[in-house]
Amino acid sequence: MTEKKQGKLTKVLDYLKHEDPFSKGVAFCPGCGLELLLRFIPQVLGNDIVITGTPSCSAPVLLGQNNQSWHTLSYFGTLMTGAAANATGLARYYRKAGIKNTVVCFNGDGTAADIGFGNLSGAAERNEPFIYICYDNEGYMNTGIQKSGTTPYGASTTTTPLGSASKGKNLRRMNLALKMAMHKIPYAATATLSDMGDLAKKLLKAKEAKERGFAFLHVFAPCTTGWGYAPENTIEVCRRAVKTNYFPLWEAVNGKIRMTKTVKKPKPVSTYTKLIKKFAHLNEADLQILQDDIDYEYCMLGGLSALEGECQLPVSSED
Amino acid sequence: MNTKAKAKTGSQIKVITGNAAAAIGAKLARPDVVAAYPITPQTEIIEQISKFHANGEMDCELITVEGENSAMNAVMAASLAGGRVFTASSSWGLVFMYDAILATAGARAPVVMVNVNRETPGIIAVSCGQQDMISTRDAGWIFLIAETCQEVLDIVVQAYRLAEDYDIQVPVMVHYDGFYLSYLSEVVDVPLQEDVDKFLSVLKDQPERTKLVPGGRLGCGTHGILGGYLELRHKHMSAMERSKAKFEEIDKEFEAIFGRSHGGQIEKYRMDDADVVLVGSGSMCGTIKAVIDEKRDSGVKVGLLKIRMYRPFPSEVMVEVLKGKKAIGVVDRSLCFGFKGGPMYTELKAFETQLGGSKMISFIDGIANTDITQANVEQMIDTTCDLAAGKDVREVTWVSYPEANEPDSEKPDSEKRGGL
Amino acid sequence: MSEVRFHGRGGQGVVTTSKILANAFARTGRFGASFPMFGFERRGAPVTAFGRFSDKPVREKTQIYNPDIIVVLDPTQRNSEAVFQGLLPDGMMLLNDSDITINVSHENLKKLGIINANKIAMEEIGLSIPNTVIVGAFAKMSGLLEIEPCCDALQDYFSGKKLDANIVCAKRGFEEIKLFDL
Repeated sequence: MTEKKQGKLTKVLDYLKHEDPFSKGVAFCPGCGLELLLRFIPQVLGNDIVITGTPSCSAPVLLGQNNQSWHTLSYFGTLMTGAAANATGLARYYRKAGIKNTVVCFNGDGTAADIGFGNLSGAAERNEPFIYICYDNEGYMNTGIQKSGTTPYGASTTTTPLGSASKGKNLRRMNLALKMAMHKIPYAATATLSDMGDLAKKLLKAKEAKERGFAFLHVFAPCTTGWGYAPENTIEVCRRAVKTNYFPLWEAVNGKIRMTKTVKKPKPVSTYTKLIKKFAHLNEADLQILQDDIDYEYCMLGGLSALEGECQLPVSSED
Repeated sequence: MNTKAKAKTGSQIKVITGNAAAAIGAKLARPDVVAAYPITPQTEIIEQISKFHANGEMDCELITVEGENSAMNAVMAASLAGGRVFTASSSWGLVFMYDAILATAGARAPVVMVNVNRETPGIIAVSCGQQDMISTRDAGWIFLIAETCQEVLDIVVQAYRLAEDYDIQVPVMVHYDGFYLSYLSEVVDVPLQEDVDKFLSVLKDQPERTKLVPGGRLGCGTHGILGGYLELRHKHMSAMERSKAKFEEIDKEFEAIFGRSHGGQIEKYRMDDADVVLVGSGSMCGTIKAVIDEKRDSGVKVGLLKIRMYRPFPSEVMVEVLKGKKAIGVVDRSLCFGFKGGPMYTELKAFETQLGGSKMISFIDGIANTDITQANVEQMIDTTCDLAAGKDVREVTWVSYPEANEPDSEKPDSEKRGGL
Repeated sequence: MSEVRFHGRGGQGVVTTSKILANAFARTGRFGASFPMFGFERRGAPVTAFGRFSDKPVREKTQIYNPDIIVVLDPTQRNSEAVFQGLLPDGMMLLNDSDITINVSHENLKKLGIINANKIAMEEIGLSIPNTVIVGAFAKMSGLLEIEPCCDALQDYFSGKKLDANIVCAKRGFEEIKLFDL
């Protein structure tokens, strides 16, 4: 693959050193965050990545059907149950055969946080040498908007619908990225589409880190169709998620947790939720529960990142 | 059959378990990637392989996965990337792999694995039975079944020739009985590495199979809908059919190098002049052979047809060998729900018209770890002889559970108690 | 073919005893097969194992119901019904016991060997694991094996000082067993 640009990395576009391997006019929903993310990854990491994906919104485009696909990457259609194990098998064989490789295991939150969490956790515990990217759209969007482990409190989905006895999901979301950081892996980070420079840097760091083992990237990728917001607002939704600390941006390099973007005066979560229909039914008291959850997660993260310098995993001499 | 435990030049005579034989077979095949997860009665295999790996005797990537589902997913992917792979499981472990077992077959990944047969109805069914094999029967894998520890080792090595053959490329599962064979220690002639290398080197002379490599602009694992799917499925079916003759060929080549043959799709024991036949598979066949010898001494013309290749079903050779026999008793170590007879019986029954009037009966035995004893085998032979003699015989006999053979055994408990 | 049933408890090396004997038979160009009765493994639980030893390949893959020889590693089981069950006429019994007197009886029992294997094992390997002493004692009592192939077989299960000590155990078992014709 040709290298397009040389020189210093100052603007986001400077990170796009490789061709876009996808055909023009890829058919995701208008305003889909997933498409932007998918096109971005190989332009930053290179067209020689081997990408794996599961049945999901990304499947028809990323994986194609029969002998057709919409891109020129090497790819492997995996089961949701075993995505990280499939990536493990690829990366381990390439290592054994001495084949230089970057395996990117690209999955939604349903695979990462729910049905495939066991093998994600197992691969992280074994420090398998590949990059795992979870694009988090907070539920099963492809099957028609069902609740997952990362669906936030109060969100209306087709399995947590509104009704006389229901105000949407009556449970708090899990913090997948922190859980993954606790696996003591070389690299774990969060990112989103309003901060593409940050995302690009983290992709490159993940690529570097996978030489030492498991790299995990949790990318907040909202869904215009499933969440009910205007297609042109995808980036704005991401931006507000960051500014309300609903989705803070941080990274953990060798276990050292650090905020990569600090929000000086975080806005209340209502400035974020008011853009999105799945939260439209929440009253002030409901929103407070969501706010408390966000505050709790941020407080914990703040405490962990304050340990900077005194809390780091030993790094072997070859790193 | 040689009657002295004598090693071929350079090979080593060892007394080892079926599990150890499987581990050594895998080691000799030099896999690139092995996935390991414990389950009784298979655990010893992955322990042995881990030991080989720890001692530097086995140069493979050993993935100590967090569950069997990952074991199958990992080896499937490694296989599609171009690697030679191995894993082993049993019972619940096998069914926990089930989605990946289907995907592996669909992707035509030439995985070789061992399944040590164990029951599955409850978690404490830590007992021998082929029900786990039956649960995965229609996944699209080639199934081979071993009778002895020697056959376990040999068949694991042979399985790579079959799975990775350019014209086959279908995953192979090697089955053998849990406990009765997995933990049985017996004399095994462990072949030389160089001989196994030579035997497997044929694969290197074949065209390279399609591999998923970085920058290769190639994808896999995505059967779609309609046309492409049909094409892939039909090709898979054809490869399964081809594997029958291929397995015969492989057995002959194996014999030329190692000096022993176990037969191809089936093994025939004292079949030529037999009037009545038992059809069986796995470890029970050793006992059946011993009892046949005794029966022959008293003039009963009985033989054994041992099924070695269970998927694809070796119907052609079976029909050829069984045609014209007076009576056939099929011994199943598993059940076929929805049918009264066992699975192998039910399948062979489909070829009844081609057998030219041979009568058939079904024996269920050895499930739940019940011992298929000499006495049980004798009973099965006697019953099959009765059938040949035109006597009225039950179509299905549960040999170790006579209650099942009582006239009212199929009535509901409420009726037997005299109403609800 | 000799059919032998072994009785003991988890931790005594019952299964290994039958494996080592099968191994010793193979070293004389003959055949042996051994396997345990199945149960959840636990130290101290009763364990049964089976051994078939023959000049011809052993084909039977069944449990043994009518043994020619019974080997009892756990003296508390010496008079239990399960131990003698199915013993064929002219049967033999090898007993690990500190009491070297004839305190077992069965109508089919014609030959009895007693060895204080725990004591020997304690002296030689510092552990009361009687199995390798039993191997040597079995060879002597049954007359089916010389001591040399038994000692050779031990190489597949032990190494270094442990091997040397266990070879001494087997030899002492061979030499020190007390035999009684009943």
